[in-house]
Amino acid sequence: MKKFLKWTLIVVGSLLVIGFLGFLYMIPPLTVIPQEEFINGTSAMHQTLDHIKNPVERLMAERGRYIVLTTGCSDCHTPQGEMGPIPEKFLAGGLALAADYAGTVYSRNLTPDPATGLGKRTDAQLMRTLRSGVFHTGRLINYRAMPWAGFSKMSDEDLRAVIAYLRNIKPVRHDIPDIKQTLNIAAPPHVEIFIPGDFAKHE
Amino acid sequence: MIRSKGGSLAILGIVALFLSHLLQAQPSLDLGKEIYMARCSMCHGTDGKGDGAPSRALNPKPRDFTSGKFKFRSTESGSIPTDDDLVRTVQSGLHGTSMIDWGALMSDDSIRAVIAYLKTFSRRFTNEKPKPVRVGTAIPSSKASIAAGKRVYEKLQCAKCHGDDGTGANAIQKEFTDDWGEPIRATSLTEPWAFRGGVTARDVYLRFRTGIDGTPMPSYKGSASDEEMWHLANYVLSLARKPVWAMSEQELKAFYDSQREWARNNPVAWGKYLVETKGCGDCHSPIREDGSMVRNLHLAGGQKWEVKPYATLYTANLTPDKETGIGALTDDQLRLAITRGIRRDGTRMLPFPMPWPSYASMSEEDVKAILAYLRSMPPIKNQIPERETPNIFSYLILKFRMLILKEGFPAFIYPGNAGMAQAGKEEQQ
Repeated sequence: MKKFLKWTLIVVGSLLVIGFLGFLYMIPPLTVIPQEEFINGTSAMHQTLDHIKNPVERLMAERGRYIVLTTGCSDCHTPQGEMGPIPEKFLAGGLALAADYAGTVYSRNLTPDPATGLGKRTDAQLMRTLRSGVFHTGRLINYRAMPWAGFSKMSDEDLRAVIAYLRNIKPVRHDIPDIKQTLNIAAPPHVEIFIPGDFAKHE
Repeated sequence: MIRSKGGSLAILGIVALFLSHLLQAQPSLDLGKEIYMARCSMCHGTDGKGDGAPSRALNPKPRDFTSGKFKFRSTESGSIPTDDDLVRTVQSGLHGTSMIDWGALMSDDSIRAVIAYLKTFSRRFTNEKPKPVRVGTAIPSSKASIAAGKRVYEKLQCAKCHGDDGTGANAIQKEFTDDWGEPIRATSLTEPWAFRGGVTARDVYLRFRTGIDGTPMPSYKGSASDEEMWHLANYVLSLARKPVWAMSEQELKAFYDSQREWARNNPVAWGKYLVETKGCGDCHSPIREDGSMVRNLHLAGGQKWEVKPYATLYTANLTPDKETGIGALTDDQLRLAITRGIRRDGTRMLPFPMPWPSYASMSEEDVKAILAYLRSMPPIKNQIPERETPNIFSYLILKFRMLILKEGFPAFIYPGNAGMAQAGKEEQQ
């Protein structure tokens, strides 16, 4: 009887250990989940635009939606939780990118929230940021953190379509800290560091 | 003896002149330098050579101030610009480029101070005087003037580069190189909102009168009268089409359809637009320690990414080289890589850093266009190393730290080319 108990314990114990190691090995099963789940998850965050009354604005916003979706803006501009991007905070910013030549910067809130997002920015200010990496405050954005050199080649019409889309997504209040000039992460010199997560200020 | 005396006197004179000049200009130059370093040097470089870090990814390139050659002037072809020309450029920006309308962020005095400083980069500004052109009397636009302008358009053979309709679609020559060795194209005359030098009839007239220095656009002084150039300006402005934001619903639908149609018929050009604007080169090219791109290895891969706990990756060579690039891959293989994250050996990529979950939503035509453009590029031999995965023990330990200890791992991006190819000589400054 004692022998039986002992063996049961050993088997259960080793099964637990194997199960735990298997859990460590497999989770998250990024290369096992069907691709469609990632693809649908990404496109599902993008919102429908039926609420736009002006048909021209809607058509432009749809073109903008296509550009924003297929350029992967949300990869950096949507904060990440443990389960990946947080759909409720779609394009609300908060990831960090650090480089020793540029300090630590946080992806901005692109939703039309007036206090923490783009609500108060004019079209001209947004064009300036997209095309030349200059904020409304005059601060220059490192072009590696935000690849504006590529966006600078977009036609005016496409840039305005992108802006039309961003003006019509759901506003999210999400206060993003400004640039930090010092790095908190121990890293070899001259390296860029992409930090997923959500670094928004606590509310 | 006399000669050397004269020589030393001359030198003394020059030094005195120089000193007095310095003393006079000093306060404004200090301010100008400060503003230049804070706002302009990022792209135009700390010594005005137009070689700041992003410059390699920009087209058109930031102006090289040391050449003293400027495109948008109100002065004779080959002459230096007036201060007011430079003020106009800084104030209103160069539309359609990364040069913004600084007038919205800077006062007039600051702009003048910055201009005083940037003029010190070229000796032409101390040695020469600008030669302003005489702008004749403007001719207001009218049907007759536009018709006369059309005749001038034909006489001067503008269609050779700009096409019959001004879009350049049926131009005889489509590819040009500017004086700095960069590829440029003739401006589409139907999109005046993107005219760099401004959209008034006077601005357009000035482009004919003064030429655009450094580009194949000559000055037509001598080949056309003043009057003819004013007519031509009116004609060019009459070619404008409506921008999308001014169109009606039907017009906009038709416009987007025609744009797709054009993309189908010009896959290489459209693919280039897509590859550039999606920033493929930002990861698929090596970078230097200051984050600038290695230009001769553009899209040749070799950027190193450490994505803990999964793998250390090297971005792929996207040029059509048969052995090291995408030359030997089929369209289907490439399509699967871009839109489904499947490598050539059939294994799967992580959903990051390659954003295939986003690219999957691209239309079939857009993917085709991207492939057409990648295949049209000059091949670059750059053998990229295999990705490295951690051994099972360190992998399990890293996963334990990630899942149980809730440690977050940032991704590290390293400078340098992990491939075999060398950065070009002109790159090593």
